[in-house]
Formats: sequence, C-alpha cells, structure tokens
Amino acid sequence: MDGVIEVERLVHVYPEGTRALDGVDLRVAAGEAVAVVGQNGSGKSTLVRHLNGLLRPTDGVVRIDGRDTAGTKVACLAALVGLAFQDPDKQIFAGRVRAEVAFGPRNLGLRGPAVDEAVTGALRLVGLADVADVNPYDLGQSRRKLLAIASILAMRTPIVVLDEPTTGQDLRGVARVQEIVRSLVADGRTVLAISHDMRFVAETFPRVVVMRAGRVVLDAPPAEVFGAPSWPTLASTYLEPPLAARVGAHLGLGATPTEAALVDAVAARLRS
Amino acid sequence: MSSLVAFVAGGYLVPLALVAIALVSAATGGVARRLASVSLLLTLPIAVSVVLVSALTRAGTEVLVVLGPFDVTREGVDFAGQMLVRLFAISTAIGLFSLTTDPRAFVFDLERRGLSPRFAFVAAATVEAVPAMVTRAGVIAAAQRSRGLDTEGSLRARLRGVLPLVGPVILSSLTEVEERSLALEVRAFGRPGVRHLLWWPPDTAVERVARWLIVAALLVLVAVRLAGAWPPIP
Repeated sequence: MDGVIEVERLVHVYPEGTRALDGVDLRVAAGEAVAVVGQNGSGKSTLVRHLNGLLRPTDGVVRIDGRDTAGTKVACLAALVGLAFQDPDKQIFAGRVRAEVAFGPRNLGLRGPAVDEAVTGALRLVGLADVADVNPYDLGQSRRKLLAIASILAMRTPIVVLDEPTTGQDLRGVARVQEIVRSLVADGRTVLAISHDMRFVAETFPRVVVMRAGRVVLDAPPAEVFGAPSWPTLASTYLEPPLAARVGAHLGLGATPTEAALVDAVAARLRS
Repeated sequence: MSSLVAFVAGGYLVPLALVAIALVSAATGGVARRLASVSLLLTLPIAVSVVLVSALTRAGTEVLVVLGPFDVTREGVDFAGQMLVRLFAISTAIGLFSLTTDPRAFVFDLERRGLSPRFAFVAAATVEAVPAMVTRAGVIAAAQRSRGLDTEGSLRARLRGVLPLVGPVILSSLTEVEERSLALEVRAFGRPGVRHLLWWPPDTAVERVARWLIVAALLVLVAVRLAGAWPPIP
C-alpha cells in the first residue's frame, strides 16, 4: 500500500474566472498525516478535489503514487484516494447504515465476505457497529458524519482525505475522529484533513499546511506553525493558534501547540 | 403562459417554436447550456414513460413495428412526438423563468400585487428549487464519484448510479425544506397583518405591454381553437 501525493505548480481557475489555486507545491509521503488549514476560500477544498480527479488542473501536475491524475477517471482514482465530504446528507441514500457503507467497496469491485469485512471494520472504527441495521436518517447529524467517514474508510484506499471531519462533533466525536486518524496512520495510510479546528489539528497532525489565496504559506510541524513567529502569517489568513499555544507564548514557555505540551512546559518550569 | 400555449396549440410547430424562442432568449442571457441541461433533467423522466406508453399502447390504423404483444402504430408515435415537444416547451419555459428571474424580485412583486406572503414564498421557493437542485446535484455527484460511482461509463453503469444520485437530492431537499420552514417561523413569518415592502422590482412600460400582449395572444389562440380553425389535438 503506497499513498504518495505529489502536487507541482498546481493552478486551478474556475470557469467564472476565480483563481482558486495559484501554484501549489506539495509532497506528502506514504503514511503521513497532514492537516490543511486556511480561511474560507483559500483553496483547501479545491486542492483536495484534484487528488481524486473531481477537478482537473488548469496548469501543473497532480500525481498519486506516481500516476498523473490528468488522464485517469474519477472512478479509478477512487480506489486510491477516498474523499469524505463535509456534508453527509449530500451522499447518504441507502435505507440501512450497512448498505450505505457497502456502496463504495461494491463500486470498487468487492463482493461477498470481502464487503462484509470492509463494512464491519469501518463501522467498528467509527463506533457505529451497533447501528449497522438502522436507517441513516434515524442517526443524529454527528453520527451521520461518522457514517460518511466510514463509507470512505470501507474502501480501504491508501489515501484518505477528510473534509472538516470535526464540524458538528462534540468532544467525544472529536476524540473519535482523532482515533480514526491515528488508526489509519498506524495502518500505513496517508491522511489529509481540512479543518478549522486548530486544537484538533495541533493535537492530531504532525504536519500542518496553511493556505492563503490559493497558495501554501506555511508548511511545518504544529510547534512551528502555531509558534509566535508564525502568528502574523496565521492572522493574515484569519486563523488563530490554539489556546495552549497562546498561553505558552504569553508565559514565555516556547512552543506549546497542544495542552499536553503546555502542561509539560509548565511542569518543567516549576521543576526548574 | 408558454406552457398553456404549447398545450392549447398542440401539433409540432408551435411547441417547437416556443422551445426555439426559449433557447434564443436563454442564449441572449448567457444561460443556454444551463437551460438545456435543466430542461433535459426536468423532462426526461416523464418523457420516457409518456413516449413508451403512447407509442406502445395507443391504438391506430397503421402498424409500423410489432414489439412482442405491442403494436407500434403511426398514430401512437405521432401522439408521443407531440407530447414530447409539448413537454420540452413547458420545461424550457419553466427553466428559462427560473434561470433568469430573481426570486427575491418575484416574491416582492407577488406580494405587491396582494398575494399572501405564504403563497408568495411557496412560489419563490419553487422558482429557486431548480437551480438550487442543479447545484446540489453537482455536489452529490462529486461525493458519489468519490466513492467510486462511475458516471462516465456505459449506459448500464450510469443507470446503476441513478438512485445514489437522486436519493440524496430528494432527501436533502426535504430536510432543507423542513429547516427552512422552521427558520421562517422563528422569524415571525406566519404573523398576520400587512407587511411593509422596502423595495419594488423595476417594471418598465415595455414589460407591461409585452405581458398583456402574451395574454391576448393566448386568448386569441383559445378562440381560434374553439372556432375549429386549427388542426385538432390528437
């Protein structure tokens, strides 16, 4: 299982003239977990929609495992890149949770026990195994969101892209999404997530890509991206570092992007 | 109005002329391609059943083809053809109206003419529904293609994708209607009493004359039809 993403000088101009991507370069290694952040309209969704061919480059190249996406059908790229959309209600159609999750694997050619195994595994991972035979519309919005994620996980693609996976999730839901990301990475799969939840980003992803006006303006670990020197850049794309990072900086504790890092830094300061 | 004319006139010439007028008007407004796709989207599901039922079951004197237990007659094919052009005339008229009319202006104008805000809203929601559903359908298609649905393959593959595409369009539309009605109620939409309108849509003398001319044309057409001076509707 590979999962290498290569984006070179990617430009995308929508038919009405909006230049959504303006020369993006990005390389994500197999098994890496990367968060893509930025203000609304910065080009995050446009970027990830190039990974499975939903959008085609106006200029530049997108390669998945060395294969140029330009000449590949979406239905074929779907076997490599699973993209979970933000709104689950824009994809749910089946009368049972199990059938909804089985839709992707069946499209990829899986049949019989292989489908059951993929569906059961995905539902277990998102915590919906106990509602496999329930109508999706009997679930709450946050669980429908997890269902949409499960329907992508069941396809067992080497690359998983999650668009705003924590939107509408309570603390337990966010923790579940973190668990999903960690599990995928442990399984050797590449994970890309678009998010506006900086706390979730800092605590879950070892690499953060910040976009502004169709360009990558920061690409570094959370300690650097959320460190005080990067704050002006973050502010320019209307992002705010997590509370832990701001508290740590104000106390002169250095980079503390997560609450755990902040507690460690405070403890170290007290000990010294 | 165009829809009424298409039905009153019958035949091929008038409905096809109405389709042509709608397409030329759409091209002038830069929405010809969108009108064509909206019109097909609206018409095809009904057209397929109408054509099949008409061509296969309508009795006639001249049998063109025998398909198992069905005789496809010239009269059946002719009727199916006339129904098809009428359906396209109606769908292009509705599509053109929804693509070129500002729903807000439409609602305000209806209210200005004394229509209840509730009815005005229902009318506006209907007008807004078509372009909104086209946009929604685009997002849904992208989501399903991301799950491996082949929308570019054979006819069989495309047919297999109808339910995953249409299902979420209907379900999410129903959800949105419910949410929208609740949002209206919490903003006192159902409160009785007269509303004060802050804005009126522009309405030129030319537009007013054109409207009355269209109504007059329809009345003339009905009169001609009643007088029997027009080919009979099959």
